[in-house]
Amino acid sequence: MSVGFESIKHVKFLKRHLNMLPSSQQSHDVNRIAIIFYSMVGLSALGVDCSREYESQIAYIYEHYVKLQIPGYDKTFSGFVGSLTVNVSNVPCISLPNTLFALLTLKIMRSDDFFYKHMDRQSLGNFIRKCQCSDGSFASVIDMNKPVPSPVDSTDLRFCYIATAILSLIGCKTKEDFQEFIDVDRVIDYMMTKKCDAGGFGDYGEAHAGYTSCALCAFKLLSSLDKLEVEFRERTTDWLLYRQVSNSGTVLSQEGRNPYYDPEENGGFQGRENKFADTCYAFWCLNSLKILDENEFNNVCRAGLVQDYLLTKTQNNLIGGFSKNDEDNPDLYHTCMGIAALRLMNGFLNGLFCIPKQFVS
Amino acid sequence: MEGYEDISPLPLDTGFKDELCQIMYTDEYRMVVGTARALMERREYSERAKELTGRVIDLAPAYYTAWNYRFDILMHLANGNAELLNQELEWIDEVTLNNPKNYQIWSYKEAVLKNHPSPSCKRELPILQLMLDDDTKNYHVWSFRKWCILFFGDFTHELAYTEMLLERDVYNNSAWTHRMFVLKYTSPSNDHLLEEIEFVKAKIKLVPQNVSVWTYLRGLYENFFNANYDDRIVQFTKNFTHGVEDEQAEMNVNVEVESSFALEFLAHVYTLRGGAMIPKAIQAYKGLATRYDPIRKNMWERKIAKITAS
Repeated sequence: MSVGFESIKHVKFLKRHLNMLPSSQQSHDVNRIAIIFYSMVGLSALGVDCSREYESQIAYIYEHYVKLQIPGYDKTFSGFVGSLTVNVSNVPCISLPNTLFALLTLKIMRSDDFFYKHMDRQSLGNFIRKCQCSDGSFASVIDMNKPVPSPVDSTDLRFCYIATAILSLIGCKTKEDFQEFIDVDRVIDYMMTKKCDAGGFGDYGEAHAGYTSCALCAFKLLSSLDKLEVEFRERTTDWLLYRQVSNSGTVLSQEGRNPYYDPEENGGFQGRENKFADTCYAFWCLNSLKILDENEFNNVCRAGLVQDYLLTKTQNNLIGGFSKNDEDNPDLYHTCMGIAALRLMNGFLNGLFCIPKQFVS
Repeated sequence: MEGYEDISPLPLDTGFKDELCQIMYTDEYRMVVGTARALMERREYSERAKELTGRVIDLAPAYYTAWNYRFDILMHLANGNAELLNQELEWIDEVTLNNPKNYQIWSYKEAVLKNHPSPSCKRELPILQLMLDDDTKNYHVWSFRKWCILFFGDFTHELAYTEMLLERDVYNNSAWTHRMFVLKYTSPSNDHLLEEIEFVKAKIKLVPQNVSVWTYLRGLYENFFNANYDDRIVQFTKNFTHGVEDEQAEMNVNVEVESSFALEFLAHVYTLRGGAMIPKAIQAYKGLATRYDPIRKNMWERKIAKITAS
């Protein structure tokens, strides 16, 4: 292993995303909090003290916390908007992902004040409650005129994870704690319908490593992993291990035949069967594996192949950052995920929240 | 802005000097997003407001509130009118084709179809085919296709469609899982299932080293035959392992197998059968650990340890 980890270049790459952005980035305006979150995760995982470096911007993050009422309804809702520029005073523009990203960013910035003084736990819980659908799943936003899940939003395992993660961050530990805001049995029932034959979780039977990580994190946060049969958990562990691309043994016979097989990706992880490896799935697969089978997780880490893949194939040695694969340019999301995967492997990162361990108890 | 002169756009400046990720907006963005937000604030439900949400979505496809607002406008204007809802479906198709990675469109389309007085499956299939032709493993498109099939209760085209895709690329895992989804929802007859086993066997013969086909085969047995693996399927599988599960490890170091998945399949069946078959299962797992799939050595050894312990 001759290639090193380009820590200094990654810091520069990440910091650039927090500065003034060109108009080509305006389509991401809506989810600016996500840009801030991905950058801060990367920076803090590289040892940058964001609470000092960005101290003067904490007030700016606070400003994204919005309390509102929907005309005609008396309950108050609160959460975070993705950007101040898309907010409208009497329309609920808060969303579950932006709320989770902002709360985690505030954790990274060591802003305990927010959690103890500023935050209104009850109205935040109300918002999450109203995002839950009758089948137990969650939408990411509520309707603009009624306190019900938005009729045009998707509902899937991502938002099940995000809802439970937010509740966990605002202090829910036991089932009763969660039950105060959401129907726990229903969300578990919903997630159970997303189990796949091959192991893993996904929509209508096609397992997907991202959804698998979301489901397992949610089960874990709800202390309900034991609801999954031992046989299914083992099958999921195997499915996850199988997502590691290899260049040795019989799999090599796929070369030149399977259009989605590349032995150069040895050690990397794919998100689904017969797909190319991708930086972010190293995180989603390893995080899932760690939840299900610590021993197998350690085995994969010890072998060092994921690390080799990330450092030699998807790390950019010139401008810093990580790309999706060995062809694309580096981007913020894959940079965050690549660093997170490496930091998860060396025990520095809390995988359930995807931030350094020191910021979450 | 023309047609919206009576509206003052809401400003996009936050007044913060310590802003993070400040964006240098184009004038167009300021004007379009600013005006749309002003209309949203007063909840104007008009044709011009709907049109403007279309421009917002072009500029910022992830603006979830704009999608919600557009839907609200549509429900007010259309009020169950099929013609207007069809126009909306056409607009969505256009957005979809211009922006295939936009994730909001699918759930939006579902909402429109749910509120349509006479939705048509026939209308949806061609655009789905176009999208999947272009990106045969697009997860969101496949999910929407399955949603459609269930919504319309029309499974008639699906087996032929997946067969066509599998002829193009036998490794297409989305097509295989779609096929299993169809079978699970259509309670197939025994004859049909036996044909299905022959279908997948032919695909295995074509390319034995393909994880999707073996998962599908196992799925057929588990979902419809109570995981009762007969001797015929065992015999068939042995065609691809050259007997390495029967020999001593020392003797087969130089034998290649045609499919590590076949070897795993046999090991799994032998484990289920137990008794005298156990040594064969162990032998197969040993082969996988040492030679045929060494990257997962620990996984195979875990399986051996589990069999040995029980």
